Amino acid sequence: MKKRERIMLIIKFMFLGIFFLIYMVPFIFVLINSFKSKRDILLNPMALPTKLEFSNFINAFNKMGYIHGFVNSLIITVFSVLFIIILSSTTAYILVRKKWKFNQIIFFIMVASMIIPFQAIMIPLVRIYGSIGMLNSKWALIYMYIGFGTSLAVFMFHGFIKSIPLELEEAAMIDGARGMQLFWLIVFPLLKPISMTIAILDVLWIWNDFLLPSLVLVAPEQRTLPLSTFYFYGTYTADYGLSMAGLILTIIPVIIIYLILQKYIINGVLQGSIK
Amino acid sequence: MKFKKAISLLMSALVATTLFAGCSKSSENNTPAQTEKKQVKITVLNSKGEIQTQLEEMAKAFMSENQEITVEVIPAPTGQSPFEKVSSLYSSGNAPTLSMLDPGDVVKFKDKVADLSSEKWVNDSFDRSLDAAKVDGKVIGFPFTVEGYGFIYNKEVLDKVYGGNFDASTIKTQNDLEEMFKKIEASGMGSIIVSPMDWSLGGHFLPLSYATQSKSSDEVNKFLEDLKAGKVDLAQNKQFKGLMATLDIMKKHNISKNSPLSGTYENGPEALATKKAAVWFMGNWAWPQIHELDPENNSYAFLPVPISNDANDYGNSEIPVGVTKYFILDKEQNTEEQQAAAKKFLEWIVYSKTGQDYVVNKANIIPAFKNVTVEPQDPLAKSIKNYMSQGKTLQFMVTLPSDHWSKNGASMQKFLDNKIDVNGLAKEIQEYWKSVK
Amino acid sequence: MKEEKRFIDKLKTYLLYAGPTTFIFFTVIILPFLFGIYLTFTSWDGISNSHNLVGFSNYIEAFKDMKFLSSFGLTLKYVLYTVILTNIIAFLFAYILTSGMKGQNFFRAGFFTPNLIGGIILGFIWQFIFSRLLVYIGNNFNIPIFSSSWLADPVKAFWTLVIVSVWQNSGYMMVIYVAGFMNVPKDLLEAASIDGANAWRRMINIIVPMMIPSITICLFLTLQRGFMVYDVNLALTKGGPFKSTELISMYVYNQAFLSQKYGVGQAQAFVLFLVVALVTVIQVYFSKKMEVEA
Repeated sequence: MKKRERIMLIIKFMFLGIFFLIYMVPFIFVLINSFKSKRDILLNPMALPTKLEFSNFINAFNKMGYIHGFVNSLIITVFSVLFIIILSSTTAYILVRKKWKFNQIIFFIMVASMIIPFQAIMIPLVRIYGSIGMLNSKWALIYMYIGFGTSLAVFMFHGFIKSIPLELEEAAMIDGARGMQLFWLIVFPLLKPISMTIAILDVLWIWNDFLLPSLVLVAPEQRTLPLSTFYFYGTYTADYGLSMAGLILTIIPVIIIYLILQKYIINGVLQGSIK
Repeated sequence: MKFKKAISLLMSALVATTLFAGCSKSSENNTPAQTEKKQVKITVLNSKGEIQTQLEEMAKAFMSENQEITVEVIPAPTGQSPFEKVSSLYSSGNAPTLSMLDPGDVVKFKDKVADLSSEKWVNDSFDRSLDAAKVDGKVIGFPFTVEGYGFIYNKEVLDKVYGGNFDASTIKTQNDLEEMFKKIEASGMGSIIVSPMDWSLGGHFLPLSYATQSKSSDEVNKFLEDLKAGKVDLAQNKQFKGLMATLDIMKKHNISKNSPLSGTYENGPEALATKKAAVWFMGNWAWPQIHELDPENNSYAFLPVPISNDANDYGNSEIPVGVTKYFILDKEQNTEEQQAAAKKFLEWIVYSKTGQDYVVNKANIIPAFKNVTVEPQDPLAKSIKNYMSQGKTLQFMVTLPSDHWSKNGASMQKFLDNKIDVNGLAKEIQEYWKSVK
Repeated sequence: MKEEKRFIDKLKTYLLYAGPTTFIFFTVIILPFLFGIYLTFTSWDGISNSHNLVGFSNYIEAFKDMKFLSSFGLTLKYVLYTVILTNIIAFLFAYILTSGMKGQNFFRAGFFTPNLIGGIILGFIWQFIFSRLLVYIGNNFNIPIFSSSWLADPVKAFWTLVIVSVWQNSGYMMVIYVAGFMNVPKDLLEAASIDGANAWRRMINIIVPMMIPSITICLFLTLQRGFMVYDVNLALTKGGPFKSTELISMYVYNQAFLSQKYGVGQAQAFVLFLVVALVTVIQVYFSKKMEVEA
């Protein structure tokens, strides 16, 4: 029995190890090439950098207006995700707990809307919001992210709220909790794991999104990090070394956020608390 | 009770957001006119990504000479056509003051752009450089870049191969060309690299067969009309057949013939710089990339693409040259002041020493104006100027339908990869033209 | 919660909980979508200030377009492979990485990394790997399958799309599956273990049923992403060689913006929406039915 388990463990490690390598290879290349000049990259992309030069990073940092882009990205991401979580959880709650025909219709529309190709609403969206002067502002972008993000979040909350026993709320009602209180005190804390998952996924989506900000934000001082990163890409060829350095600068914050949130989930704050 | 407070706070925040949406409606009218103390801000949309940095520097130089004007250069994203970017900016009410467009798209914006007919530079522009920018006799576009293409060759290498001085004017026929390839190969090098990008094959190579139909552009246009009407049998057309025979020669000698579709744009300059090939079919926009990889060598120049074995045939000693980017000036969403500032900027590009220097030397652009005497340092631009001064130019087919390069580029790739023969190719191209409205 | 009887009470409750969401959702998605549908019946070209109603002519042209239909077929094939591969791999990752082994955080972070970067840039990186790195390796170590670029061959280019999509999405789905695995009660599994159920039995009888909500979400997401893939398609193959890998989103996009047939493109986008809606709604309907309501 012991022996079999050990063999299983080795197989698991091998399996993971091989996949891990495959998953990491592209990033290793980005990292290697971020230290090289464009000429060296084009002539031999696989060679290791001959010396550790940070000039690409310094250049990228200055050229992309890193601090500015970072602050913009941060504001947009934080507010969007916060609103998505708060608004979607209450919405999902009411959609699960009240079995009105109307609720079923709304839920159906929301699920269905997730299949709308963004390209199909891109121009109409820009046209409508442009005509009421609501473009070229971070807040308009946040507003749109809430619109684009809620359907998935509601959908995910929906599945999880269904698995929360109604008895908990009934018990709380006997204790005198009413209305919204019931939700925030009893239900919301139980939603932490799924909220965290949604937060992670939305942070990554919003942090990396390119097409929507490129349509909504026009002025340079409003630019998000991916928009600034884009600066390094030309029509026919790219300033590879510089853009790869820029790329690494762009993803460092996301990796940090992810590591923090992931740890949070893994600690299993709520493991077993549902049951 | 704490929670009720939190909720009401949240609700009021939301109400504020909604109100904000309503409020901004009324402020819309003021937005274009945010001119504090005569400060004017104009935006320039750049759809030539490779010169973004140079344009920004150029804007800075202009601003330091014109303190009251701020110029902001916005790039169009890679993979998004300039037409798409500009039209979405128009829908959003954020139309750039100046937008850099492909020639075929200029007239589509004719209702939204200012009439530039009375600008000074109109009279100084090269003959026919305003052709694609004229609507009902009015000039609505500023010709920004002149470009040309053909076989880029490394003269240093060819000099060696030919034992002394290689004379490009001796290559006038398909036989001459193949002879040259064989000579290069005999010296132990690769001869030519054929880049498989659809925009190169469909947008630049194939149109040579249209441009060489006749010296008169009316005849060429008539030829295209006949194609649309389905009246042309390309497989029997002399120029088309000839051009594809040339492509057959190129295919035979292509250094990447084992996998002809696997190359990328970057392989071209790389092959030239590492002397894996001595010839590349491309245009003068490739100079910065060639120069970066082969910084010492300034001997590059153009050869025409021959389409027959008769040295006198039109096209055998000419290369296509034309305006490939225009600026349009918006009049709908920009104020009078902004329009005036933009006009000043355009004038500065043409007439000021600094402007000329930036365009010619920093951005490697061949201007479309006679008065600009700054000589380009870049050998490919020089080569094009040479052909121009000798009158040995073909029409650069810049106003083909917007998806021409993409759809026919795909057919050309099939031909390059030997998936179809010349008759199959002719059929696909004819089919394409019939679908054009 | 107490049951509201009167309509006005229901409305009040609804608006309190879901009012803002509904408002934002409708103004950001539904309104532009309806406006977009309206535009499919017009001759609007994307820029001009006026347009005429043209009836169904855009739709007629959309269906006459053989290339649209063949691109759709290719997309179905792509969706089939990516959905199956992504979910199997993600489920396996999540299963192994919740078994409490050493270094699981490290591995989880690693598998998730592809999601940290936008699709366009990932596509560029992989294009470089397929067209250069693998070719270099193939030529130097005599591995025939890599000796010429995969992107130059229609069949192999299709598989590069599948590989990169699976590579990119499996980490995302893994996160959702991990959250699901954490909801599987440990004591239940232990009890089953003591009762003599082997790993396979525990998987089929306990884990999978408890994982249905996660599976629903992941299936849905992979289906939706598969049908709508654009970034990777654009950056990796650009639809080439010779348009043999042009998936449906890219086709529709090019139709609208490259060929500048805005009405036809918008109409095809709407057809795409209807088909995808049908497929995913059926999927959600069946898997939601399987969810246990506690």
